Amino acid sequence: MNPTTPQYGDLALFGHDPLWLVILKALVLFIGLVLLTLFTTWFERRVVARMQQRVGPNRAGPFGLLVPLADGIKLALKEGITPANADKVVYLLAPMIAAAAAMLVFAVIPLGPVVSIFGVSTPLQLTDFSVSTLYILAIASIGIYGIVLAGWSSGSTYSLLGGLRSSAQMVSYEIAMGLSFVAVFLYAGSMSTSQIVAGQTDWWYAVLLLPSFVIYLISMVGETNRAPFDLPEAEGELVAGFHTEYSGLRWAMFFLAEYVNMINVSAVAITLFLGGWRAPAPISTVWSGANDGWWPILWFLGKILVMLFVFVWLRGTLPRLRYDQFMRFGWKVLIPISIVWILLVSAWRGIRNEYGTDLRTTLIWLGVILFAIAAIAFLLDLRRAPEDEVVEPTYDPYAGGYPVPPLPGQEFTYTRRAPQTVPATVVETSALESTGQELEGDRNE
Amino acid sequence: MSSLLAAASFDVPTIEYGQLSPMLIIFGVAVLSLLVEAFAPRGSRRPIQLVLVFAGLAAAFAAVVMIRGTQHIAAMGSVAVDGPALFMQGAILVLAFIAALVMAERQVDPLGDAFAPRASALPGSTDEIAFTRLGWLQTEVWPLFLFSVGGMLLFPASADLLTMFVALEVVSLPLYIMAGLARRRRLLSQEAALKYFVLGAFSSAFFLYGTALFYGYAGSVDLSAISDALTANAGSMWLVITATGLVSVGLLFKIGAVPFHQWTPDVYQGSPTPVTGFMAACTKIAAFGALLRIMYVALGGIRWDWRPMMYVIAALTMIVGTLFALTQTDMKRMLAYSSIAQAGFMLVGVIATNQAGLSGTMVYLVAYGIATIGAFAIVTLVRDSTGEASHLSQWAGLGRKAPIVASAFALFLLAFAGIPLTSGFTGKFAVFTAGIAGGATPVVIIGLVASAVAAFFYVRVIVLMFFNEPTSDDGVSVVVPSGFTTLAITISVALTLVIGLVPQLILDLANQAGLFIR
Amino acid sequence: MSVLLATIEQSGSTGEQIVFWVCAAIAVVGAVGMLISRRAVHSALFIAATMIALAVLYVSQGAPFLGMAQIVVYTGAVMMLFLFVLMLVGVDSTESLVETLKGQRIAGLALALGFAVLLFAAIGNVSYNFAVGIDGANAADGGNVQGIAHLIFDRYLLAFEVTSALLITAALGAMVLAHRERHTPRKSQREQSEDRVRSGEPQNLPGPGVYALHNAVGTPGLLPDGQPTDRSVPEPLRGVSAAVGVDHEDTRRVNALAAGGAIIPGKAEDES
Repeated sequence: MNPTTPQYGDLALFGHDPLWLVILKALVLFIGLVLLTLFTTWFERRVVARMQQRVGPNRAGPFGLLVPLADGIKLALKEGITPANADKVVYLLAPMIAAAAAMLVFAVIPLGPVVSIFGVSTPLQLTDFSVSTLYILAIASIGIYGIVLAGWSSGSTYSLLGGLRSSAQMVSYEIAMGLSFVAVFLYAGSMSTSQIVAGQTDWWYAVLLLPSFVIYLISMVGETNRAPFDLPEAEGELVAGFHTEYSGLRWAMFFLAEYVNMINVSAVAITLFLGGWRAPAPISTVWSGANDGWWPILWFLGKILVMLFVFVWLRGTLPRLRYDQFMRFGWKVLIPISIVWILLVSAWRGIRNEYGTDLRTTLIWLGVILFAIAAIAFLLDLRRAPEDEVVEPTYDPYAGGYPVPPLPGQEFTYTRRAPQTVPATVVETSALESTGQELEGDRNE
Repeated sequence: MSSLLAAASFDVPTIEYGQLSPMLIIFGVAVLSLLVEAFAPRGSRRPIQLVLVFAGLAAAFAAVVMIRGTQHIAAMGSVAVDGPALFMQGAILVLAFIAALVMAERQVDPLGDAFAPRASALPGSTDEIAFTRLGWLQTEVWPLFLFSVGGMLLFPASADLLTMFVALEVVSLPLYIMAGLARRRRLLSQEAALKYFVLGAFSSAFFLYGTALFYGYAGSVDLSAISDALTANAGSMWLVITATGLVSVGLLFKIGAVPFHQWTPDVYQGSPTPVTGFMAACTKIAAFGALLRIMYVALGGIRWDWRPMMYVIAALTMIVGTLFALTQTDMKRMLAYSSIAQAGFMLVGVIATNQAGLSGTMVYLVAYGIATIGAFAIVTLVRDSTGEASHLSQWAGLGRKAPIVASAFALFLLAFAGIPLTSGFTGKFAVFTAGIAGGATPVVIIGLVASAVAAFFYVRVIVLMFFNEPTSDDGVSVVVPSGFTTLAITISVALTLVIGLVPQLILDLANQAGLFIR
Repeated sequence: MSVLLATIEQSGSTGEQIVFWVCAAIAVVGAVGMLISRRAVHSALFIAATMIALAVLYVSQGAPFLGMAQIVVYTGAVMMLFLFVLMLVGVDSTESLVETLKGQRIAGLALALGFAVLLFAAIGNVSYNFAVGIDGANAADGGNVQGIAHLIFDRYLLAFEVTSALLITAALGAMVLAHRERHTPRKSQREQSEDRVRSGEPQNLPGPGVYALHNAVGTPGLLPDGQPTDRSVPEPLRGVSAAVGVDHEDTRRVNALAAGGAIIPGKAEDES
């Protein structure tokens, strides 16, 4: 390679593409996202069906692959209803904002290293700049407007509630999301996506910064309104939440936005934590050429597929959270843990920069500190007065004069009346009639 | 990678911890006091808070005394530790100590201290009654108080406009909250808090806009850099004049000068009275400190451009404050208008733009602050069954009911009026002589006339207290306070008399301190 | 021609020029629209548009960090909270145009006009030779982000740290003013059910508006004997709306029903 050519991970790579290449890249990204969305809808239905012991869509085309297409045609032909109560302009604007914002994120996602397209050497990425990760957050926050405005402008209570929930939810979970990025920035020394991928040549940040990764995974589900965090469109409570009043192509735009957003957050997770377009460990160890040329797109798409499977898996497995529990989880668990974790990471980086300690010394010190904390906790525990052991009251099947079942931990003991239960099979018809008569008699008394 | 190289070349900034220690102590204690709120059991919070607050204020004052005589710009150019800054910091700490004594009082109100048991309980709700019965106290006022004091220490010492803006907000935000925490007449109090907040935020925006224009002019927000740019006569004068006007609006609002005074009576009346005393005394010192620093350090070179504006504002402030005070029937509102008029007198010292003006204003600030806190402390003592009896008619004949308290109040009023042998005379004398020396004779004449008129309504209250018959059945009585308020009033009386009788002590101190570092 | 070239030279490339004129127009339209919209949500939208336009301007001038932070903070967080509150306080609320202070609008207009003239005069009088841009400043520290970090953690370290006092105060103030504490321990589910049984009425309270004319919560329900009961009304409304809206005709019909008669709608008058 020419020595003056900047290496991958240098921002000087970007911004030199000819105009036709920029347009080409943008078009490919757009079409790719739409196709991937179509695929994802089919994929989700098939996987969920398999999890629920069903077959799923299998009529249109091989394995039902053409079902999304049929859906699309159906939606395009449906009437787009505008409620009389709606705020017309905002009502029309909202799905556009949602879909447009969803499409914008992929502009800064790196899909591969420098390749040659029609003789022009260019990285497989539309663009990159020094704060492109912040750009992702910014675009995500604009995308929320689509949902909130849809909820407000529909002029319907369910929509409004959905919009309210979604704004609160996304603002809360975007904080946790942003905080989970911070540790990555500290490690990569940059906020540009291509430099972050370049920084993961040896280790994925998902391994180095596992807590950040877990926090991101959780908040990304909250950010995309997907189960189990799909409270803005909880069908049991809010009909369909913010898009209750939408139909036809406008509804399709929300649908598109939701699925593209799923792909977006998956792509961000891959870029920031899962090595980006780099081949996973066994492949790259065995095959040195795995990270060159066009191959990385394959790895990237594979990782996207795995992440999408996780989304579907979650939806197929977990029940929806209650709204207050969900918010409490975000504010009282995710955000504090994020902050403490960032504190630890930055302290560790600071110590390493300042004193140049190696990993071993640090680990020893960490062990000493943890031991000290454990010892103090143990001593405090010793000093604490032993709590009165809760004496389980013995099981009384007629407590308070009523027959009651045993509580957890209580043994059911057979009592005098238990064996006298009459077996249902041996009751004769005459016996039933007589009992019925007796009952009648009771009532007449 | 380039970023890592940049990180390696970063030099650790030098922070002069010793010279910043007064405010560092206060901020540190404020955080501690917040932790007390979070972790200490409810019953033990008040005693712990009181120990923290008084120890913290005393320690910070000791730190100010230790670093006296320093002339240095600390913290990478953010804080000017010089004579005026240290003098103001010391004054703020002493006054905050006295104000804290009044705030700590819980004997005059049979229901508890001066603050709502829980600010979050709706006024008049069953929750509020339950909290009152349980005797809970809103001890969160103490961290708020300390944060405000910390901001006040930084405000007059800021050497650049950015730090000054942050300090301004740190001063104001706790005050907005504390203004809404009164135990009695809570709706009035909440209204006061909201007004203060909205107008305060508005004035902060002016300050910020002015700062931006100054940056556009000088390419820096450092006061010394602005001064240098003015000396070099670079750029557009229009920009400087507009910037000066906008920054002044922000500061004059805090001072309560006409025409930015409208919030003062409502906020002073609605706030819990101990907070009113604190706000009236300490905020004014801090804001005047900042105003003096900007006008003298940064804008000394164009004093001929801003002095006419200040002439008008000072004259208006004195006249409007005095005239409106004449018509008031509520004691707290009357004191509020009187404080507006006093701000006008102090502005005469700012206009003087000489060293005597600076030291004179500082002396006046101290004299005014002590008398104000004392006066508001006494307002808390005059009560009927619904709380403080602040209507003027309820004060009739107070001299017969409680001669000592009434005499103390009379002393503070005389100090406000500037009668010789009280601290007010010392302050007024210092400011007016500096004003004449600085060539502001017309404003001084207006000031003298306004003082004479003001003396009328101060004396009217004294006459009301001592020579009128008390209304027999209005239920107004002077409550016997605990040691806290007693001590606060005693200190205020003593200092008022000392400054009045031996003015040379404080005049010398202020003269020694009267030099800004550039 | 040379003058035109010089102007372009001074104010950046053609692309930057286009970006400036487009975004400036959006920003101004947004600002004006925010002022003149009747609905608060429209105002919020307009100002969000202004913020985004400003952010784009920042980015095009070489301050990408500021631009992105502008969107994340203002558009994403601040305006979103605004919308949230607007939705909570009233979806359809429009601004009232009744003046509470007489002459306030004229005075406000006059002052605003004066202020605008002042600023035009001040900023319009500024002359500068040519735009320097912030490329030099960016290059000094190796980038936009690094440059800002250098300023915050070096020259303005104290201001930055003191800002934390501001944030603590804000959080504390929000807690003081809004956090409702419990003055009595929360009752467990068991205690609640026990209390309910002991009260002698373990069943639900009567629903509001049962057999009454309206089904609003303020309308007392009717007991089987036809008497209105205010126990069906939420506590804060009790007394305020007692017996308001009780349809005595309904009461009579219910009584008739209890006596074994049939109800024929519309024929109640004939029967009586």
